[in-house]
Order: sequence, then structure tokens, then C-alpha cells
Amino acid sequence: MAEPDHRDRGCPVGRDEERWGWPDMRFSGFRLVAEALRGHSGWKPLWRDPAPQPAYDVVIVGGGHGMATAYYLAKTFGQARIAVLDKGWVGGGNIGRNTTIIRSNYLLPGNEPFYELSMTLWEGLEQELNFNAMVSQRGVLNLCHTDGQRDSFRRRGNAMRLAGADAKLLEADEVRAMAPFLNFDNARFPIKGGLLQGRGGTARHDAVAWGYARGADVAGVDIIQNCEVTGFDIDNGRVTGVQTTRGPIRANTVGVAVAGNSGRVMGLAGMRLPIESHVLQAFVTEGLKPAIPGVITYGAGHFYISQSDKGGLVFGGDIDGYNSYAQRGNLPTVEDVVEGGMALMPMIGRARLLRSWGGVMDMSMDGSPIIDATPVEGLYLNAGWCYGGFKATPASGYCFAHLLATGRPHEVAAAYRLDRFARGHVIDERGAGAQPNLH
Amino acid sequence: MLIPHPLLGPRDAQEFTYLGDARLLERPDPAAENAEARFCDYVYLRDNPAGVHRELWFHEHGDRSWLVVTRDTVTHEILGAELAADVKGAGA
Amino acid sequence: MTDLTPITALGTAEAPSVAFGPLTVAEDARLGLASLALRRGADVPEPMGLKLPGPGDCVAGAGVGAFWTGPGQWMLEAPGRAEEDFAAEVARNAPGCSVTEQTDGWAAFDIVSDAGAAPVDALLERLVNLPPASLLPGKATRTVLEHLGVFVIRRAGDRLTVLGMRSAAGSLWHALTVAAKRREDAG
Repeated sequence: MAEPDHRDRGCPVGRDEERWGWPDMRFSGFRLVAEALRGHSGWKPLWRDPAPQPAYDVVIVGGGHGMATAYYLAKTFGQARIAVLDKGWVGGGNIGRNTTIIRSNYLLPGNEPFYELSMTLWEGLEQELNFNAMVSQRGVLNLCHTDGQRDSFRRRGNAMRLAGADAKLLEADEVRAMAPFLNFDNARFPIKGGLLQGRGGTARHDAVAWGYARGADVAGVDIIQNCEVTGFDIDNGRVTGVQTTRGPIRANTVGVAVAGNSGRVMGLAGMRLPIESHVLQAFVTEGLKPAIPGVITYGAGHFYISQSDKGGLVFGGDIDGYNSYAQRGNLPTVEDVVEGGMALMPMIGRARLLRSWGGVMDMSMDGSPIIDATPVEGLYLNAGWCYGGFKATPASGYCFAHLLATGRPHEVAAAYRLDRFARGHVIDERGAGAQPNLH
Repeated sequence: MLIPHPLLGPRDAQEFTYLGDARLLERPDPAAENAEARFCDYVYLRDNPAGVHRELWFHEHGDRSWLVVTRDTVTHEILGAELAADVKGAGA
Repeated sequence: MTDLTPITALGTAEAPSVAFGPLTVAEDARLGLASLALRRGADVPEPMGLKLPGPGDCVAGAGVGAFWTGPGQWMLEAPGRAEEDFAAEVARNAPGCSVTEQTDGWAAFDIVSDAGAAPVDALLERLVNLPPASLLPGKATRTVLEHLGVFVIRRAGDRLTVLGMRSAAGSLWHALTVAAKRREDAG
């Protein structure tokens, strides 16, 4: 199969620095040595901390996907007078509360091309941003435990390849060569093989937030932190600005990208969404020597694991399953996750947990996101990322910027419409129906 | 979380499965003129409040009652529980 | 006709019984069971003279017992009568109610103490996540035990029955005997 050319999709493959000359190259080996000799006193903040101006062309609410949106809006789509509002600090929301996995291993046509665009953007991200996001394509391996599951993996792998992604179906002995520590002969759930996406892997979540923030700032975007939106100004069905904890800000266009809190924020604009907020927990062990080669997911329980560059085993499982804005979960889910881990790789029982945390997810009614205009003119929504938002950050930002700049959805995000539920065009990878805690 | 079952006293939330907003008890009239639009709202749209939420829990590993539990989604504090049959009966 | 050999839920010819200190864990392969549910608005019957118990309770009558399983629903028990058509007898004695044969759906395990209630209480602490008040003598309740849905019936201070799904009888036996052994080892 020929390599897909993502330029055809109107997507930047960001290596052309002549098009985008950085005003100052702040990081280099020379600079690091020089700073080491003067006690690192010469480093400057990576972005400005401006007070909000009275008016902008575009206000983006949310500093995660929103930051990526602002970056592409300024840089690729040439828009000016952009502000990103974050209720906390850059990297303090869900972009800093995830398990850092990147992958494009979806089945459905509404999803897979989008996530594959995201994967190609990940592959060029560090060059694009001139920032080390520690993108590590160490592979994502989904394990299968039954013949039926292998069949479904084969189908998904073929769908991935049709969309230009990579996928390889592995037999059990190939999995054993990669990860000999797995419990292959578990009586109930023996490992029969797996679906490997070699280009998948991990990226350092904080550095992604910081890289986009620096890039947006350099492109002229005002990053306004500790600025929570408390209301929308809507005049005759058209948005004219936002009310915030730092005062009113006028805007022609407002984009909301606050996954986890979408229901709460859009409620301020009088909208009910096909979304429930749920809490997802994740866990890190003490640092260990390298043991786990890539990302591994258990096919008989909900458990996924990888090892960070620092050595900690990073893992997670199911959402707790009830509506929550608490950013912390309960112990039964902790037990459920670690039981899954013990069933898959008994050696994990020897590792000690260092910490755990909870993030609040927009669980949508079909398990897929929304990038669309709303019934309020000038107000746009980016939401419903369930627990898969991190890997989508580049494409979500790119496609949302496309929508904000042109008023039209990007080709690969065309299925993520807000009205798809009413039209019956849901994108339900799990086939679970309108039951958010099952997606 | 402990759910105060109206018949059986405090029970671990692990014994229950969760359905969601208790407004799911208010099924629209399929014979109404705008039934299609109302069913779409009923099936897909949620208030999703940050704060007090009335929600349906099923006592699957218990007496198989549906409960309407009032719970704070910000603190996870459980403020009360009623049998859904009583709630539905009172509303009918 | 083929000459069939009856086996217990654990697959043995005779029901096993194992002692762990003062506690004896044994399968009861001879417990007949039938469920009874009221139709909407119906009066509560008194089958075989049994006054059906309220939420969370169990009663024992002459050769027959019952415990509450849900609003308007009970399980009726007939010790030693697994091979009879107990459900038919219940149906005859509870006209207008929905009665279903349950004997073959369940595996029953009796846990008996020869040192009073304390060893049973200690075992229950290890088995189920329930407040002690719901496990006093005369109480019966459905709950989770090692991911299995079970009924826990506290017939007396020194006597407990656990009913679990028959297809998971081996897992339940393992859970009960391991917990009893650990209680014994812990003294």
C-alpha cells in the first residue's frame, strides 16, 4: 500500500522551518552548558502571562485541546487576536491527568482517519514545536484471548490499514517474544495473540501542553490563566463574548474545549449535551528498571499499562461508572484495576504503588467526540473525548482550528457532529448504546 | 460509597450498577405529536450537574430494587435513597 | 434408560464436609428450593402455614423455611427434598403467585460452629462487606462474595448457609474453605 500523503488532507507536516522561523532558538546544547555555568539564572518563562484585553477575534476556553487549537489557528490558519482562557494553569487540567498513550487503532470510518491524522501530527510534533515532547513510538499492543476476539482484531487492523495506519496481527509466540512476562496460560483467559500498532506509544503530557503553549505564545496568542468562564454573552442568538472571573471579554467567535466540564460550561449557554461527566483513575508505581516494552492492553478485563521513561509503571482501567466531577475515585475500582493487572502480569504484584489520581471525563452517548458548531451563532464546541482525549490533542486542535477559521468541519472530523444523535449517525465503537458509563 | 437502602440499610455501592439521571423515569409519551424529538432528548441529552444529582442505581447484588439515589457529584456524598417504585408511583 | 449417577454441585458422589477448627464447611446437596413472587396488588399468602418474612429476614417452619429476596419476593427452602417437585407443592399452597423451581440453579453450603457465634462472625468479616446488623441470627441477604452473587442466610448464631450459583460452586467452595482455613490459622 502506498504511503498516505497527509498534505492532501490539508494538513501541515511541520518540518519547514523556513516557513516558520522561530524568533529565538531558546534551547540548544550550547545554551544548556552556558546556563549550567551561571546557575541557570538566564532562563526566561516560555510564555507571557498577559492580562486579558477587552476584545479578541477568537476566544478559546480551555488550555488543553484549546491550546493546540489556538496554536494551529494562529500558525496554520493565519488568524490574529486570539486568547486562550484556562480556569487554572497551563497543563493543570486533563492534559496533565492522563496515561500519556498515543495510538490510532480505531475501527469505524468516522474515527480512524481522524486519529491517524493525529498520529501523523504526533510524528512531526517535536519538529513542529521545536520542543521535546518525548514522543516515543514504542508500540501499542492489544491482547486477544479468544478466537472471536482475534477475528474482531483482524477486522480492526484491516480498517486501520485502509485508513493509512499501521497494524500487525501477532500470534501468541510473537507476543511471547515481545513480552515474556505475561500470563499466557491463564486458565480462563489465555493469550491467543494481539494487534500491534508499532507507531503507537507514549508522549510526555506536560511537555505537550508546554510545547503548544510556547508555540501559541510566540505566534501572538494571549494565554490567560486563572480565568474561569462564568457566562456567555449572547445577543439575538449570536455570541458576543464571555464573562470571566477576570472580567468580561468580547469576542466574535468563541470555541469551548473543556472536556470533563463541557456540560457545566455549555449549561451557561443554555445547552444540554449528550454527555455525562465521569471519573477515571490512573496509577503509577515506584520507578523500576525497564520491564515493559510498550503499551500493553488486556483484552479480557479493562487494564492497560506502559512504563514511563522515569521507570514507573503507568496503568489504568475502567471509569468508576457514576457521574462525578470529583477528580478522585473510589477503592472498588482500584481493586478492580489491580486485579486485572494481576491476572495479566502476576509480576506486577511485586511493585509498590506510588500514587493514583482521577480525571474527569466527558463520556459521550456513543463514546465518540464532538467538534462542531452549536445552535448559538459564533459558539463552537469541542467535547466528548471520553477517556481518549490525550492522543487526539494535535488533530483535535487542528480540526477545531479549521472549523473556527473556515466555518466548515475538517474532512476527517466531519462525522463529529453535535446533531448526529438526532440523525441516527452515532459513532459507537463499543456498540454499547446511549449508556455513557459502558463506553 | 455507602448507599442507604430504604429496606436493607447501608450497602456498599459495589453491590449496585449505575444507570444515570433519574429523569430516565420520565419516559415521553410515544403518542404525543412531538414524540420523536422528545425521545431524542430523553435518550441522549443530560443535565449532567456538578453538585446534587438524582440518579438510578440497581441493587443487582442485592434485592434487585431500582433506587433513586441523591448524591453530590462533586463530593460523592450520598444525601438519600428511595425506592424508584415509590418515586414513580408518586409521580404517576 | 441410561443408568445415571447423581452427583453434587461440586461433582462428587457424596457431599464434602471439611472442618477448620470449630467451623465445619459442608455442601448441602439435598436442599430443595422454589421462588415465590407476588403478582401486582396481590395479598401475601401463607404457604404451608409459613408466615413469610419481611426485608432482610428468614424464618423456619415445620420442614420448610423461607427468606426474603426482594420486594414481594421470597425463596422457599425444603431441607432434604432436592429430589422432589417442591415447586409444585409451593404452587399448590400459594394460589395466584408466581412460583419457580430453583433447586438446580443453586449450590448450598452450610457452615456450622461448635464454639458459638464468634467463629461465624469472624468468618463473615472475611467473606462479605456488610454491616454486622444485617448478619444477625434470623437475617438473610443477597450480596457479593469474591465477585460471586450469593445469598447469606444466618439461621442461628452458630449456623450459616451460603447459596451461590451452581455453575460457580467450585469457586464458591474455594472461597469459603480458604477463608475458613485462614480464620483458623489466624486463631
